[in-house]
Amino acid sequence: MTQEQAADETAGKATPAVPPIIECRGISRTFWRGKERLDVLDDLDLEIPTGAFEALMGPSGSGKSTLLNLIAGLDRVTRGTIKVAGHQLERMNDAALAKWRSQTVGFVFQHFNLIPVLTALENVELPLLLTRLGARERKERAAIALRVVGLEDRMHHLPTQLSGGQEQRVGIARSIVHDPKIIVADEPTGELDRQSADDVLNLLQRLNEEFGKTIVMVTHDPAAAERAQVQRKLDKGRLT
Amino acid sequence: MRLLDLAVKNVRRNRLRTALTVAGVATAILAFVFLRTGITAWTSAADNAAADRLSTSHRVTFIMPLPKRYIEYFDGTRGRFEGVDAAAYAVWFGARHPVQTDQFFANFAVQAETFFDVYPDMIVPPQDLARWKETRRGAVVGQALAQKFGWKIGDIVRLEGTIYPGEWEFEVSAIYETKTRAVDRSQFVFHWDYLNESLPEPQRGQIGWIATRVSDPTRSAAIITAIDAKFEGFDVQTRTVTEKAAQTQFLAGFSALLRALDVVSVVILLIMMLILGNTIAMGVRERTREYGVLMALGFRPHHIAVFVVGEALAVGLLGGVLGLMLAYPIIQYGMGRWLEENMGAFFPYFRIPPHVSLVALGLSALLATIAAVLPALAASRLNATEALRRLG
Repeated sequence: MTQEQAADETAGKATPAVPPIIECRGISRTFWRGKERLDVLDDLDLEIPTGAFEALMGPSGSGKSTLLNLIAGLDRVTRGTIKVAGHQLERMNDAALAKWRSQTVGFVFQHFNLIPVLTALENVELPLLLTRLGARERKERAAIALRVVGLEDRMHHLPTQLSGGQEQRVGIARSIVHDPKIIVADEPTGELDRQSADDVLNLLQRLNEEFGKTIVMVTHDPAAAERAQVQRKLDKGRLT
Repeated sequence: MRLLDLAVKNVRRNRLRTALTVAGVATAILAFVFLRTGITAWTSAADNAAADRLSTSHRVTFIMPLPKRYIEYFDGTRGRFEGVDAAAYAVWFGARHPVQTDQFFANFAVQAETFFDVYPDMIVPPQDLARWKETRRGAVVGQALAQKFGWKIGDIVRLEGTIYPGEWEFEVSAIYETKTRAVDRSQFVFHWDYLNESLPEPQRGQIGWIATRVSDPTRSAAIITAIDAKFEGFDVQTRTVTEKAAQTQFLAGFSALLRALDVVSVVILLIMMLILGNTIAMGVRERTREYGVLMALGFRPHHIAVFVVGEALAVGLLGGVLGLMLAYPIIQYGMGRWLEENMGAFFPYFRIPPHVSLVALGLSALLATIAAVLPALAASRLNATEALRRLG
């Protein structure tokens, strides 16, 4: 699907085959740097269907990461409404939002952001500490997630004992271990060589196609964006 | 893995910094335990003073002598005080070892016949006591003193007089042990008669104080009143106090020093808290992005606070335990023994009281928690998106 087709769908020219899991209506996000007002997102509408794999592209400062943070419930809109997986995020308090994130969203970061004192298995287990699962089941699920990303033989390694590509795969395992509906990935290949980047993108594609995860990925890399079903471009806080 | 495990694992992150901080906390705890033990040891003589012993001395000051004949009003020669079981006079001799002149120990000339009846907590084997009573220049020395100078029963020892000038020769007749913490194990006692007969005529017949043992400590006040009333019309009036009061009076002279030690022990812990707070604050600053990640994953501010406080608690307790582990060999078995042997008059029993260990451990945990409050608040108030943008 091209960006134009996606824009048409957003504008209502075509009826999506599946209901949207993400619905942004007239959202704006304004930051203040001292007395300077920064309108990072401006009256933006966006719908992403359940099970989609979409890429958000655009120059630095265009608002990609801000939009991703709003979708993931890490940040709050200044104006507008944002509904994700059936929840109006702007109406939720911080505690409810944190709980919702822990159940609904998986994060993949550019810098992997693994905890250096924890093994791969323990890093993947982290989101499960917020659940009622017992220690044994947590470990089993973390091991399964590592198996999905092909790192079952590295589960007791510390992040410093892994390559960049392996670290990012551990990061992906951490993002899926609690079976979230949505995975948000912020420049997931930004720190990787081509081969590792391809491995990570293959993995994201597989999670989307085989496991039905909705993936929203911010990237500068056109090759990475090509893997998504839809590429959207942002410029100065608006979808173009 | 549990939430607290992550906090504890963070302790191992920067090993050198953690090791230095733990060493700092351990040193502070060591110093705290040493000072508290010193204060306890110093005041223990008063705390553990025999409740059934009184001391009668010159009303003006205990430095001034009493006439020896006053004992006759205690021993039945001229009378007796009801409730007094035993009485003995003594005088401060103030001599020192002729070679090791800086090694202080208390030495007295005492009434040989009854002295150990008044001080039953100084235990002398009966046959040795009998021999001492028959030996004019005999001396009874404390076990710690004998050990320090290598004296044995039968040895001839010489002391250098300061109040009573000259070289004084004694024979070690007995070595006493003690059964209470209040008693100095480094004392040296000998016959008052030996001192008296060696003095020029004008100085003879004087004693320093009369120690008495009463049958019922609850009647001490009445006995004290009776004794002092007895000598009211005499040339030299007396002042009688309980042994505890006498010890407390002695300690009162050092109250400023004791208070200073008290303050220093608290200041040491405050310094420890600041060191720990600085370490934790540095760790929090370095891990800002990790806290952002945890928040993104759904961890709440109170979870973040637990990580920070848990880490501080782990470092504090580690330092506390290490400090105590060092305290026993260094203070209890090293310096403590040395102080008991060399400064037994001030520190008759220099051992770490169990409550001091518990307080030290408790304070290391409490102060670590307090030290972590500000860094924990800062970490828990982080904005997740801001934190994720931070480098490092």
